[in-house]
Amino acid sequence: MAEGMRVKPDLEFIRFMKKAGGDSLKKCYQCATCSVVCPLSADKKPFPRKEMIWAQWGLKDRLVADPDVMLCHQCGDCTTYCPRGAKPGDVLGAIRAYAYTHFGFPQGLARLASDGKNLPLLVAMPALIIAFMWYLSGGMHLPEAGTAVDFGRFFGHWDWPWLTKNVFFIDIIFVPAFFFSLFAAFKGGSSMWKAMAAGLGANSGFRPSASQFATEFLLPAVVEIVQHKRFKDCGTNYDRIKGHLPLLLSFIGLFAVTGYSFMRKDVISLFVSKELAHVLHGPIPLSDPFKLLANISAIALIVGIGILWANRMRMQDEQKVSATFYDWFLIVEIMAVGVTGLMAEVSRLIDVAPLAYLFYYMHLVSVFMLFIYMPYTKFAHLVYRTVAMAFERYRESSFVKQA
Amino acid sequence: MEKKYGAYICAGCGIGEALDMEGLVKAAGESGIPGAKTHAAFCSAAGRELIQNDINNDGVNTVVLCACSPRVFQDEFNFGADKITIRGNIREQAVWCMEKPSDKKSADTIKEYTQELASDYVRMACTQAKKTELPEPYKLETLTRKILVMGGGIAGLTAAKEAADAGYDVTLVEREEQLGGKALGWRQQFPTKAPWTELEEPTVAAMVAAVTGNSRITVKTATEVARIAGAPGALKVSFKSGKTKSEWDAPAKVTADEQDLINKGGMADPNAGLQPYMAADPAAEDFGGVVLATGWTPANVSEYAHLGHGTLKNVVTNAEFERLAKAGKVPANVAFVQSPGGSENDMDFPYCNSVTSMVALKQAKYVRADNPDGRAYILYQHMRTPGNMEMFYKGAQNDDGIFLTKANVTKVEEGNGGLVVHAQNTLLNEDLAIEVDMVVLAAGMVPTTKEEASINLAYRQGPAFLDLELFDGYADSHFICFPYETRRTGVYTCGGVRKAMNMEETIDDATGAALKAIQAIESADRGVAVHPRSGDGSYPEFFFQRCTQCKRCTEECPFGALDDDEKGTPKPNPTRCRRCGTCMGACPERIIGFKNYNIDMIGSMVKSVVVPDDDEAKLRFVVFVCENDAYPAIDMAGMRRNTMNSLVRFIPVRCLGSVNMVWIKDALSSGMDGVLLLGCKFGDDYQCHFVKGSEIANKRMDNIGETLKSLGLEPERVGARDVAISDYDKVGDIVSAFVDEIVALGPNPFKGF
Repeated sequence: MAEGMRVKPDLEFIRFMKKAGGDSLKKCYQCATCSVVCPLSADKKPFPRKEMIWAQWGLKDRLVADPDVMLCHQCGDCTTYCPRGAKPGDVLGAIRAYAYTHFGFPQGLARLASDGKNLPLLVAMPALIIAFMWYLSGGMHLPEAGTAVDFGRFFGHWDWPWLTKNVFFIDIIFVPAFFFSLFAAFKGGSSMWKAMAAGLGANSGFRPSASQFATEFLLPAVVEIVQHKRFKDCGTNYDRIKGHLPLLLSFIGLFAVTGYSFMRKDVISLFVSKELAHVLHGPIPLSDPFKLLANISAIALIVGIGILWANRMRMQDEQKVSATFYDWFLIVEIMAVGVTGLMAEVSRLIDVAPLAYLFYYMHLVSVFMLFIYMPYTKFAHLVYRTVAMAFERYRESSFVKQA
Repeated sequence: MEKKYGAYICAGCGIGEALDMEGLVKAAGESGIPGAKTHAAFCSAAGRELIQNDINNDGVNTVVLCACSPRVFQDEFNFGADKITIRGNIREQAVWCMEKPSDKKSADTIKEYTQELASDYVRMACTQAKKTELPEPYKLETLTRKILVMGGGIAGLTAAKEAADAGYDVTLVEREEQLGGKALGWRQQFPTKAPWTELEEPTVAAMVAAVTGNSRITVKTATEVARIAGAPGALKVSFKSGKTKSEWDAPAKVTADEQDLINKGGMADPNAGLQPYMAADPAAEDFGGVVLATGWTPANVSEYAHLGHGTLKNVVTNAEFERLAKAGKVPANVAFVQSPGGSENDMDFPYCNSVTSMVALKQAKYVRADNPDGRAYILYQHMRTPGNMEMFYKGAQNDDGIFLTKANVTKVEEGNGGLVVHAQNTLLNEDLAIEVDMVVLAAGMVPTTKEEASINLAYRQGPAFLDLELFDGYADSHFICFPYETRRTGVYTCGGVRKAMNMEETIDDATGAALKAIQAIESADRGVAVHPRSGDGSYPEFFFQRCTQCKRCTEECPFGALDDDEKGTPKPNPTRCRRCGTCMGACPERIIGFKNYNIDMIGSMVKSVVVPDDDEAKLRFVVFVCENDAYPAIDMAGMRRNTMNSLVRFIPVRCLGSVNMVWIKDALSSGMDGVLLLGCKFGDDYQCHFVKGSEIANKRMDNIGETLKSLGLEPERVGARDVAISDYDKVGDIVSAFVDEIVALGPNPFKGF
């Protein structure tokens, strides 16, 4: 007789899901209202109805390899219309949280970052690392009286003109953190791609080259993300676009500013005269267009995350979403980055040194956290959803369809 | 009673405008009641006062009121139990269903036809008044109010307690050594209160204690009922020890052919050693009514070979699983199969119901309670969790380790050290192979009446309920309209023997059955019918000198009211009788009748219709109409001003089963052109209030068709049609179609003789 799928529901997975915001998943009775309202659902692919029963039956291997779960933008239509309060939107969020942990590299850190219980540790580790480096640098004191606050000397000062001590310390903390996070994201993203590709079943001999992958799948996906097309399909939670778009643009802006600053302070300054290097190492003047961009982005970031914060509070009050560590960790973290950055800048400009140094320290800690936890927390959607959107194009492409 | 008549013809509701009132008064006079009075509205205070004055001053005791349908204003025209009121329906069935004038028929012609129609109704009403008598209720010499409850499970315990609480003495009989029944084997019970999610500890012990401690209740354990003889209010019950045989066991029914075979030695006598059914047991106890709560037995599911019950270890039924759960810990991985699957994939197991769905949920909770990592799979075609049990379903579904899917289970086999359940068409949209330690099949609850007589009546028609095979072994009377009734008056079923039901339903059900038994006893005490002619004080009387012992009445009575002696002379039991008159319809000697409903009365009414023998356009038809459904349908047609053919004359009958074929002969010999019977649907989903009446009538009509043929009359002149109470928009067409058929045949050739 035909062999069916061997089923052994993973009770641990169900328990994880219930803790991670999917506590309502068992309520689903497969009426498919969610699939009718979901803009992602296709004729033969009742999304998220089938994901709901997979989740109920604890079939985690199917769920983590399901591109649709990552493609969901949690617009909340399914949750709003669900007649039984099963909150499919929250369940999908919980599945994503599980997937980030599941694909996360290294696993230990991924597990650590997935649980609210570990929050003190998650904050303490970066705080200690930065404090230790600060201490090591010898810059851990307030500027002498009469000197203006200069974050360029946060980690102290040496007389070698082409690379300041401050830049050196920033680089040895953040460059490895950045590349670590990039590598972890790549590992996670490619594990997911492999799992998804295995789920397609069809494995042709043709594989896209790296450049084909980039131009045919990844780039169009990124363009679509920036345009926020999918958010516009959202019905009940349309307001979210007002927060998410400024936030995304602010990240792009700040990324550009960071790149400019890196080039200016760490690269170009190595090859110019001592005097010019000194200027380049100084604070970027407020009139500099990049500084302008930085400030606009900082405000956009705070406004954007503020809107998302308010939005989520409202949805929680209306009981349309549940409060989870997974969601709130990212919101608070981004808010912390924005607020500490802005406060550091303001206290520098008004020249209140203790406040300026405290905020700057906190800013460094929060940015560090954003980097190293990115691949495991909700921020990982930046990687996984992009990969899924690329995969969506891939599975419709001739690489798969001809096989 | 010396009758003094008063005839009253109402001119209200459009009657006066449409008809010549003087003509109607004249018609009444020709029928023997001269001086009929008219009034603009007899239902008004003034109108009723007019009648009441005649009663008070002139001694009128038989009122003939030709006005609206007898179905309306019954209280207004009730002049007391010692007065007779006959109603002629000239509103709904004459004036309100008049044709609209057209090219074919002028207003004058229509008026002429309607006048004749109404005059006939006046004549029929007067004739009926002349022929009817005031019924005198039948009274038992001695009446016993004690109630017998058979079966000591949840249903029996409840019925006994409820009847006792209502002030009746009860005897509760249980075959086993102890009271409690199936509930004794339950580990836990369904929730009975909010939030409806938690199982509860069994309450049967408390119920048993309440019954054994009740001074009105006599408990007989390890006892069975051998036979029940007699009739409601005076039942004679013989008891015996449980699981033994007795000479007083109720004898099986033996047909005449079977008796011949037995006499010739061709067949063993099933009743050898038993007392005849009419024999009186001197040791019998008296009872008034019976609640049958003998429950159910778990169905055998080994016929579904692919599921492996009986062949594979650890494939068990829900009943067997409950025993395991009661005894100790249940396995950690269990599949609950709710439907046999295989080729009949949408069918549930026989005798399943919502209760088997809920049992699966309950037992899945055992799996979870006994095993921290327990997994319970419920594979169903249908989950039924009515009422608050929806909360129970939701609660179970919300459990991490309970997995539900619609599925067609194709096979259960051994594998991987346990069992593997294969299922198709699941909600997961793929075929499943589930590895489990145990498979539980949702075996149904078979009523005891399927396997044995249970009620053990010493009745002529046999010890068991009738036509059990039509209803899969369930006792049936009229499930839709009168769910408690059985086809044995004074016997009410409840609990698992009536339907697969859960404990909460059973308690409600048993309470109802106890109240019905009380109602039957009290009705017997007053000499009135229980149901559906509640309160009817008439009963069939027999003129035995002319009885030919043809046994038609004893055979055809749908309720087994008639026993007989060795010669075959009927022995009526009026308290078993439902007053349908099927015996009257059956009797070829026409010796059976009621005081207010008999052969002569209806026959005379038929003959009172004036049949013109000189006008080919004025054919005449008599239609015998079942008063339960068809007659109200015709009234409703009139209320909606639907047109009714004015050549037909409707005569209400208690049931088509009471229509004696002599009435048809009367009609045809008085020159009428056709006779139609309108009654309830019969067969599998019958709607007859007396179960068999319309079916028997249809058989009789087939037979009379043959007789007509031999007389040279077309058999098409007599017919029978089904009319449901909701057919008010169709009944006019049904009648017209019949009339048109006869018009095509031409007039009755015997007209005028």
